[in-house]
Amino acid sequence: MTRPMDEMGADAGSYRDPSGRVFVLGDRVLRSVMPRAAADFEFVRSTGVLERLIAEGSAIAEQQVEPSGLPRGLDDARYVLQHPKLPFVSYPYEWCFTALKRAALLHLDIQIRCLEQDVTLSDASAYNIQFLGPKPIFIDSLSFRRYHEGEFWLGHKQFCEQFLNPLLLRALLGVPHNAWYRGGLEGIPTAELSRLLPLRRKLSWNVLANVVMPASFQRTATEGADTDIPKTSRLPRATMQSMLERLRKWISALEPADRGKTVWGDYAGHTSYVADETERKRALIAEFAASVRPPMIWDIGCNTGDYAKSALESGAAYAVGFDFDQRALDAAFARAESEGLNFLPLFLDLANPTPSQGWAERERRGLIDRASADAILGLALVHHLAIGRNIPLEEVVAWLVGLAPNGIIEFVPKADPMVQRLLRLREDIFDDYTEEVFVKHLRARAEIVRVVEVSATGRRLFWFARR
Amino acid sequence: MRRSLTNAVLLGLGAPLLFTEPAWAYLDPGTGSMMLQLLLGGVAGALVVGKLYWYRLRGFVTSRFSGKSSHASASVRTDAPDE
Repeated sequence: MTRPMDEMGADAGSYRDPSGRVFVLGDRVLRSVMPRAAADFEFVRSTGVLERLIAEGSAIAEQQVEPSGLPRGLDDARYVLQHPKLPFVSYPYEWCFTALKRAALLHLDIQIRCLEQDVTLSDASAYNIQFLGPKPIFIDSLSFRRYHEGEFWLGHKQFCEQFLNPLLLRALLGVPHNAWYRGGLEGIPTAELSRLLPLRRKLSWNVLANVVMPASFQRTATEGADTDIPKTSRLPRATMQSMLERLRKWISALEPADRGKTVWGDYAGHTSYVADETERKRALIAEFAASVRPPMIWDIGCNTGDYAKSALESGAAYAVGFDFDQRALDAAFARAESEGLNFLPLFLDLANPTPSQGWAERERRGLIDRASADAILGLALVHHLAIGRNIPLEEVVAWLVGLAPNGIIEFVPKADPMVQRLLRLREDIFDDYTEEVFVKHLRARAEIVRVVEVSATGRRLFWFARR
Repeated sequence: MRRSLTNAVLLGLGAPLLFTEPAWAYLDPGTGSMMLQLLLGGVAGALVVGKLYWYRLRGFVTSRFSGKSSHASASVRTDAPDE
């Protein structure tokens, strides 16, 4: 269905700042720079700071293109920039703690470095950061503008709501940010976080200055109704620098409160697999990846990323993983970072994938609306959906096969201890949950290329190719 | 009382220097964050905000000792700095 916003051509998430918008035309990502933003645009580029950020991979590359002849909205721009298209666009409510932390630190680093060159960022939106594998990259080249001596850090509130508060939620209270962030879209409101924090947490200066005091001031000012900040107010540059440096130091040291001391060292060992089984799975995935060579593979239920790694080492170019286990995601992200994998693990509840939402329900897009995969891995997954979440087996198969033309799906039989665990406290209402029925539904949609038994309990991998 | 104190914070800290260019952006920076930055930016501001909190604390203590119930945990009153 064509919607009114799409007809205008501009990306529905880029409407806030009239300085310019993003347009996606086929494989081209274009950004308009409107006349009102031209002076800042020219100043920032004269300092060389953005060029250096681009060179080191911290900001997205840009190339000027001729505006004339481009569609409406671009042809009246002063400048038009073309950016490389990202392999996958993700949102902060899909990031794990470590990813959000890396994004926050990148934002602060860029702001700190820019300030030295009389450049500042006009906002602090977490949506301005994307990931290439586990590496964050700043994508909004129109956020950079000239710094005026004495001006406030106008992005402070947004930085707190979109980066700091969601991190504090997990670091101070052990609650992951994802569901709340997805619901509110603009992050975790400072006033609400302030109400949740216990007194002992409020006694640190950092929490006081960035959560408790702004929340209190905001409330006091709102109750006072006619308050107004004089336009002549100023914040010394050194104070802004120290705010940024202090936040940077604080956030660098934040860790999830619910992680425990062992971190993820032996986390992968907590599964029921034996080494032999893992090896057989890896071998088939390697063969599959070498044969299909998918530019984009999705590892659905990625755990700590073992199999995404196998796929990447054998022919897949880029892997996105999905899981809802926060500790597994943090471990997967750490693995991608330490091993330099082109792998981005993301939070997703498969029974409730990211929806399209925000302004006109188009601002932030649902998973299937936003991206597609060339191949999928669905290992140790079907029983969680079909039995754990009561989704009919045929629908599980149809959904998985619908995601990509090629893939590997594991079927775990009912006798397997993991399935028995799901059934331990409930009636077995799953008469259809058999390999025979699974194969029937798979065959109806795809050709089965290979079947490999991977465990003594009868777990099997099915390599499929969609017709 | 609150209103006048808030205004005192805002006006007491303003005006040391003028901008030559517009200071505001397309983004609403939020009054709470702006007041924090006013405070961090100057000693004069710190004194005024300290006074604001002194009055709030005094109000809280008075209401406690006069026997009224108070939802202290949901407010900043109990953990105001330096008190």
